[in-house]
Amino acid sequence: MRRFIKMPPQVLRIFLLAVGIVVCYSVARYFLTPESFKQYGWYRGEALAEMANRYEPSFAGRKACDECHSDVVQKLAKHEHKSLSCEGCHGPGQAHSDNPDIKIDIVNFSTCARCHEANPSRPKWHKQINISNHYGGGSKCTECHVPHSPNDVP
Amino acid sequence: MKNHLSRRNVLGKLGAVFAGVMAAPVARTAKAAVQKVFVSTTAPKGYDPTKHKWRMALDISKCIGCGLCAEACKKENHVPEGSFFRTWIERYIITKPKPGSGEARGETIVDCPNGGMHGFPEPTVAKEDILHSFFVPKLCNLCEHSPCVQVCPVGATFDAPDGAVLIDPKYCIGCGFCVQACPYGCRFLNPVTKTAEKCTLCYHRITRGLKPACVEVCPTESRVFGDLKNPVADDPLQKFYENNRVQSLKPHLGTEPRVFYAGMDKEVR
Amino acid sequence: MTNVMVNFITNVIPEAAPHFEGYVYPNEATQQPLWSILIVLYPYITGLVAGAFIMASLVRVFKVKALEPVYRLSLLTAFAFLLCAPLPLLCHLGHPERCLEIMMTPHLTSPMAIFGFVYAWYLMAVLLLELWFDYRADFVRWSEITPGFQGVLYRLFTVGVTDVSEPAVKLDHKLGHILSIVGIPSAFLLHGYVGFIFGSVKANPWWGNVLMPIIFIMSAMVSGIALCVFNYMVLSWVRRKPIDMRCLDTMTMYLFYALVVDAAIEGLDWIHRAYSAEEGFAVIQYMAREKLFYTLSLGQVAMGTLCPLLFLGSMQLIRKRVPDFLRRRLYFTSAAFILIGVLAMRWNVVIGGQTFSKSLRGIMSYKMEFAGLEGWFMGAVLFSLPFITLTILIKLFLSEKLPSSNLDANGSPNSPATAGGTRTGLVARAEAPGARM
Repeated sequence: MRRFIKMPPQVLRIFLLAVGIVVCYSVARYFLTPESFKQYGWYRGEALAEMANRYEPSFAGRKACDECHSDVVQKLAKHEHKSLSCEGCHGPGQAHSDNPDIKIDIVNFSTCARCHEANPSRPKWHKQINISNHYGGGSKCTECHVPHSPNDVP
Repeated sequence: MKNHLSRRNVLGKLGAVFAGVMAAPVARTAKAAVQKVFVSTTAPKGYDPTKHKWRMALDISKCIGCGLCAEACKKENHVPEGSFFRTWIERYIITKPKPGSGEARGETIVDCPNGGMHGFPEPTVAKEDILHSFFVPKLCNLCEHSPCVQVCPVGATFDAPDGAVLIDPKYCIGCGFCVQACPYGCRFLNPVTKTAEKCTLCYHRITRGLKPACVEVCPTESRVFGDLKNPVADDPLQKFYENNRVQSLKPHLGTEPRVFYAGMDKEVR
Repeated sequence: MTNVMVNFITNVIPEAAPHFEGYVYPNEATQQPLWSILIVLYPYITGLVAGAFIMASLVRVFKVKALEPVYRLSLLTAFAFLLCAPLPLLCHLGHPERCLEIMMTPHLTSPMAIFGFVYAWYLMAVLLLELWFDYRADFVRWSEITPGFQGVLYRLFTVGVTDVSEPAVKLDHKLGHILSIVGIPSAFLLHGYVGFIFGSVKANPWWGNVLMPIIFIMSAMVSGIALCVFNYMVLSWVRRKPIDMRCLDTMTMYLFYALVVDAAIEGLDWIHRAYSAEEGFAVIQYMAREKLFYTLSLGQVAMGTLCPLLFLGSMQLIRKRVPDFLRRRLYFTSAAFILIGVLAMRWNVVIGGQTFSKSLRGIMSYKMEFAGLEGWFMGAVLFSLPFITLTILIKLFLSEKLPSSNLDANGSPNSPATAGGTRTGLVARAEAPGARM
């Protein structure tokens, strides 16, 4: 201890200053590191919970539609449109699912054109037509087609 | 020379130990008070991230380029207006080679109007000149050795135990290193929150038993989603892996993407 | 000509629509590059720090006596620029208020996480300590003879260690010597990690290669030595003092050889890219030719490398036949060109790497804005700050009015900085610089 204090003052003071800085840093680090850090890895474990709660879903999913509209869902499941989701055409449905008074989107012919407009980039197995040439073009698709069961006629 | 066991020395040492013991709960309370600024909302209700492994796969031959997935993602995740996309669709058009040129293929034209969000217009190339054309949906590739996670300086982006690669918006400092490091261009800096953002596999949906919004609205089952640790009956993801030979994007970089593409072409980057 | 004019005008008009050729990923189609002028400035400033420190260490460690007149100026230059170095980073962060996270939870796989520690180490353990050991004896004397607030400041800087006896001062010099040795790898780390930040990004073929950290370090040394030449000549001109030509000749000799190595390595990078012609080379070549023409071919290569190589190289051969005043003009021009050239090099690396798409099929065109956090104005302000800081430091620590026991930046090498020199109270104007090198 005595030999330590006998170090030349330059060295001693700088050494003490350095120790002080390291101690301050360690204390700061102890206080400022978030609690859940390193719970699962080098990140805040709470972030997982926060991400899981970040948004309220806008799309409800087919099961939610099935609760009230099971007849339509079952009709859909029989034919070619069975892989479609209700909300793909009708838009986000969580608001409507929570409160049926909120109306869901009305579908018009541009919805059908979205998938069925002929485009050379689309795969060949996909049914597509050149809408402007199709029966005068611009007329309602639902005059001849039933979206929920595309093999039937209205 | 004082004896080491002198009364003063022993009392002094005991006093120091006592002070330390008394100070510990004070320090802990102080730490908790400081921590309050970091404490967040509730824990997920019964969801254990270590018990799931979410994966997405893409069947290119089924994608019709309707753009419903990109649009749904923008709505579901409140992605800002402008050219910011958590998922997008690219259209590849490979033209026929010039007759007599001795080439197998012509040129490759790639486009992505508005992320493909509103579908795709007619291609500029005439139908007769097209050799191949297809759509490639892109998203976070869920890399095994994510370069984005590797370069984050503070630990704000991470591989969650359940397979998603997430960003902690409360911790991100907005340096943009992860955006530069991602080889697939799937990250962007959100101009509103000024933090990095990317596809989270709709983490707020999958932790509640829903599917990601893009998978939900895809009309042709081109996007395949599932839980490797809890496969359901007729699990579409398992069937995908069994029935398809697959490719991943930029394999030479060693990132080991876990999003596999079936029906891909060599021109896709 | 009109093209150049239009380009120039649209460069200062903000909100110009972004323009793309080919295919770029949607997330790359932003108005401005993610890393803009601020991230160009940061490597530039830390490079100047590292280079200025290497200049100082040439005196202490390699005992190049001819460079003693610029020893303190080099250290102060390094210090002034280091103080201002974190500012561009802070301005660039999306959340600067969270900047402490990088020191509280550094993610050790990230080269950027090393910043807080390397910066703190270099600032405190290397630069400040070395400056202190060199100046301590002077602080003690100056605190006695300077009135008012400045005198109090000097007393503060002594940290209470007021022994100026010969053994104490000898110890100061020995410790300073050790610190200089420690400082050289520290300087390489300070700037090398920045090069590694770019070199580690395998996603970007322009950035991610092995030579990047080495190129950064070499160009940093070149720019730092050029800055010392520049500062020395400007300071001498401002104070109307004669320039020590021997010192200047030696500085520019080291500058020349550093430039040769730097040019060789950068040339190697290009040759290797062109030869192996990997996947990204086509788009990189197009980008360099179209987007980086002015900053690469003219700024970095012609102005920043070839001209100085010519000027400085010829001085190595025919120095004795060239009169002093012409040599000074050539040196000043070379130093200025090199400073511009290295800034252009940082621009080419940072902006160039973001001007082509990672799809390797497209090129983006960005227009720099004038106002805004990443605009010209901010860049100019942030780059002038270190010079303002240096002026303050020179007024405090290189004052002509105060007697310097050690070295003096205006051409009179007296008691050398090497250990064992005797210290007297007042500066004695030593004999004029001896024979040329």
